Amino acid sequence: MLETDRNQLHKLVEEALPELDMVIGWGQSTDSFQTTPVFVRDAKQISQLTLGPFCSQNLTGYLVKPPALDAAPKEGAKPIGICVKGCDSRSLVALIQEKFLTRERVRIFGIPCRGTVDWNKVGKLVDLSNVKSATVEEDVLVVDDSQTTHRIKLEEVLARKCYGCRYPNPLIQDVTIGEPATPRSTSIESSYRDVDRLDAKPLEERLDFWQSELDRCIRCYACRNACPLCVCQDKCIIESREPRWLTQRVGIPEKFLFHFIHAMHLAGRCTGCGECERACPMDIPVTLIKEKLNKIMEERLGYSAGLDVEAVPPLLTFNPGDTEI
Amino acid sequence: MTDEGPRSIAPADGTAADTQGIKIVGFLCNWCSYGGADTAGVCRFKQPTDLRVVRIPCTGRMDPLFIAKSLIYGVDGVLVSGCHPRDCHYAVGNFYARRRMEAFKAFLPFMGIDTRRFKYTWVSASEGQQWQKVVTEFSEQIHELGPNPGVRRQTGENSKVSTGLR
Ligand code: SF4
Ligand code: SF4
Repeated sequence: MLETDRNQLHKLVEEALPELDMVIGWGQSTDSFQTTPVFVRDAKQISQLTLGPFCSQNLTGYLVKPPALDAAPKEGAKPIGICVKGCDSRSLVALIQEKFLTRERVRIFGIPCRGTVDWNKVGKLVDLSNVKSATVEEDVLVVDDSQTTHRIKLEEVLARKCYGCRYPNPLIQDVTIGEPATPRSTSIESSYRDVDRLDAKPLEERLDFWQSELDRCIRCYACRNACPLCVCQDKCIIESREPRWLTQRVGIPEKFLFHFIHAMHLAGRCTGCGECERACPMDIPVTLIKEKLNKIMEERLGYSAGLDVEAVPPLLTFNPGDTEI
Repeated sequence: MTDEGPRSIAPADGTAADTQGIKIVGFLCNWCSYGGADTAGVCRFKQPTDLRVVRIPCTGRMDPLFIAKSLIYGVDGVLVSGCHPRDCHYAVGNFYARRRMEAFKAFLPFMGIDTRRFKYTWVSASEGQQWQKVVTEFSEQIHELGPNPGVRRQTGENSKVSTGLR
């Protein structure tokens, strides 16, 4: 099935490429299991493109991060092709909604998603430094580490965000590749299971949890850089001297404040794509912080980001009738 | 705020704060609550001494991160006050502020920070008495809670909390 989908992707990209500036997609990385972003400008590169559960990156950030593209195409500029999973498509919706992109600027290759692999989890079961090959057979991940062949249920090694995913099918697209996927979650409860678990602990334990998780943070800002909606570039207040919100101190309070800034700046905008958590080299559940805010937005204001290009993010507006939201 | 954190804030007149060393930061809007606090002072209403006032142009200027930074670094309480809804000098600043502060208030405990240390309220420039009541009550509440340890500074302790994250 993956093979057919891949062929279909190649065919569709081949047809569209002459009208496009480039196509951003996933390709095989130098190791045998991960994928890496590829920027296809030439028909010869099309064969590099792949799809499936290894394609974990959200590529939409490349549309707005340096070297940034113009939101509105210049006269005669060709659109840019981009491959998106369900979650990635919500980032596109949010970027269009906030006018960082125009809809015409992108040609969207939508890919229904059955979940992506979190290699940190696989790494706990298999020695990743020796992997000879990794393939997917139906719902099983087959990893050959030159000693043995491990057969791991995909469902056990998915990225955390995938278990609560309600929108595996792209919400905005020009073409679809493959059959629609069934959502793993259909309710607020199952989507925010991890938030509820932490919320069920006493206050002191929550503080203890975050103090110890964030203690590992090295403030590399990979999470911010990976976020498609963290668009302030060199104006980010985390690094600005004026105003000077953060110092170079390495204490936990600084790390807390950094994560508060990151989370609050995404409040009502975060689509929960999980890029921050995927990018984190210290295995910190960074997305979980934003999930709580997403839950607040959803429960109290009935708003989920990245679903509607016409909607106004809830913290950029108000209702005179609000009392306790 | 200096690098030393808010602990270094001392009353401007050089007097010691109170015995517990409780420090409360108040963010008051220029047009209503700052005036209200002034009215309370002019009327010589007795007020607690542990409030340090930061004047902001409007509660619409109130970034929830001001509250976050204060509480993370160990300020004992944060009180935000502005014009009553529909009475904002800029018409809608406090409407924006209300949403942001409500969302923030719901978020704080998730990170392990006690929301009782944060309060927002509306006090107009003529409500000196109301201001006295609000500050006194909030100050009492903070005294009951005691000093805020903030987020711990030393690193290296591992948490015993298991959350069962997937
Ligand atoms: S953390 Fe805030 S200031 Fe920094 S890039 Fe993100 S949104 Fe902008
Ligand atoms: S990616 Fe991880 S380690 Fe780096 S700043 Fe973000 S949370 Fe900290």
